Amino acid sequence: MDDDKKLTGRKNVIMCVISVLILCVLLFPLYWIVVTSLKTEKEIFQIPPTFWPKVLNTKSYAAQVGSGDFNMFKSFANSFVISVGATLVAVVLAVPASYGIAKYRFRGRKLMMLGFLVTQMLPVAVLLTPMFIMFRNMHLYNTAGAAILADATIGIPFSVLILKNYFASIPKELEEAAYIDGCNRFTAFLRVLIPIAKPGVMVCAIFSFLYAWGDLAYGMTFIIDQQRRPITAGIFNFMGQYGTKWSYLTAFAVVTIIPVALIFIFMQKYIISGMTSGAVKG
Amino acid sequence: MSDGEVKIVKKRRRLFQYENVGILFVLPAFVYMLVFVGYPIVKNVILSFQDVTMRTLTAASKPFAGLANYTAIFHDAVFTKALVNTLVFTVACLVVQFLIGFALAMFFSRNFKFSKPVRGLLMMPWMIPITVTALMFKFIFGTDVGILNYILQSLGLIKDNIEWLISTNTAMLGIICANIWIGIPFNMILISTGLTTIPKELYESASIDGANKLQSFFRITVPLLKPTIESVLILGFIYTFKVFDLVYVMTSGGPVNSTHMLSTYSYKLSFEMFKYSKGSAVANVLLVILLIVGIFYLRATKEDDM
Repeated sequence: MDDDKKLTGRKNVIMCVISVLILCVLLFPLYWIVVTSLKTEKEIFQIPPTFWPKVLNTKSYAAQVGSGDFNMFKSFANSFVISVGATLVAVVLAVPASYGIAKYRFRGRKLMMLGFLVTQMLPVAVLLTPMFIMFRNMHLYNTAGAAILADATIGIPFSVLILKNYFASIPKELEEAAYIDGCNRFTAFLRVLIPIAKPGVMVCAIFSFLYAWGDLAYGMTFIIDQQRRPITAGIFNFMGQYGTKWSYLTAFAVVTIIPVALIFIFMQKYIISGMTSGAVKG
Repeated sequence: MSDGEVKIVKKRRRLFQYENVGILFVLPAFVYMLVFVGYPIVKNVILSFQDVTMRTLTAASKPFAGLANYTAIFHDAVFTKALVNTLVFTVACLVVQFLIGFALAMFFSRNFKFSKPVRGLLMMPWMIPITVTALMFKFIFGTDVGILNYILQSLGLIKDNIEWLISTNTAMLGIICANIWIGIPFNMILISTGLTTIPKELYESASIDGANKLQSFFRITVPLLKPTIESVLILGFIYTFKVFDLVYVMTSGGPVNSTHMLSTYSYKLSFEMFKYSKGSAVANVLLVILLIVGIFYLRATKEDDM
């Protein structure tokens, strides 16, 4: 809405103030866990609650660096391996697939598109038991591999549907020019089209990573050892055993948010574009 | 197809002798999805007609049970409760998050200094891992530790602390609030995008013709946003109806099954009670409902997306 006239003067100030108030109310829960993670257990239960820690307490973070069942940095590393693995699988498979769907009119194309669309709507409950049996038979049960393969199934359909629009918008002439320069279909795809569609590939990689990072169901069902589980399953376990140890729990939660916050800060334009392309969280 | 389009298609035929080469690009991803999603769906249907226990789970042959699992779940009070819960939860979340999202989209469509950066920051709740959101709201809705009880008490609205997530009367409300928090950004951003497609001139000419703000909202904004509103609501329904992580972490379906959803009940049957076949049957009921709603979505997107 760039042609919309800019508000100025008092009206502008009022709107800005209201928008900041909305922001404070809606993002308060996030502020609240960050602050809580820096309080002592005693201060957390204090009434009236303090809106900024009286004594800055970083022990909740430090206590979990060391050994123990709930080493949150170990879980963090597990989540990282799983998410990067799932992102690689999703991107490597989805990039060529979206190009094929965008640029070729082969038989069965619509059926395949429909398949990708429908998989986006599936509830995890339908897939868990069959996948569980499958991974046991493949000897992947209780390994990162199971979570990687399962998480990629969320990233792939999303990526195909987003990227196909990017490839479709690339003019035919660019591809033809590559053929004249001696490329064949595959080298033209690799050297000319993928570099042009790079922003789209970024969107897909980011979302595939975020889906995998946020996954709980697959991680906790297919990986049983706490030492190998992703960070979301770690939090869930921790809640079950130390349900009221809120200083540790909130510290755990803050560590989980860090990569998400970094992606959000540095790659916001990709996120908005991913969300508005008609795709949604799985 | 118009004449022009026919020509383009013919031209393309000449350039690419074998349109079918394209299938080679799609096949790896498609086969992957067939193996890890397609096959499991079929397998899940088969499981629901068998009697699978811990012992027979990975065995080659499993005893056939016919419709027994489905008859059993439809006579199961918890299943009925979960079905009703899922519907109540979905409708409540959809209505509230849609209204708030719509209002915010209207607000941020005005061009003031903070409009874009603040709207960007409001996307945050949607990106947070749901497990963290669940933990956060569990903390906020805590009985003694929760800030919500403190705020309500200081405002004089309640006398004693409410056991939000521990009482069967209020637990669902807590989960609905948490889910609305996640859903607002999604509704806001899609409606925002829809709003940008409405030509400004329409509002100008309407105001020249003497229409007030309310009239132009109901006569211009709402009708022109209809496709956006439809897809926001249908997609919202699909993604809310299959809720799992949030409920599982916040209450695990409790207290006394009062917050069980179809997904959490299916999980409980399969992975806590090891009644895999009943769990599969519940999951299939969930799937059928989603597919029925999904057909509406596919019909809406078919023309421009395929």
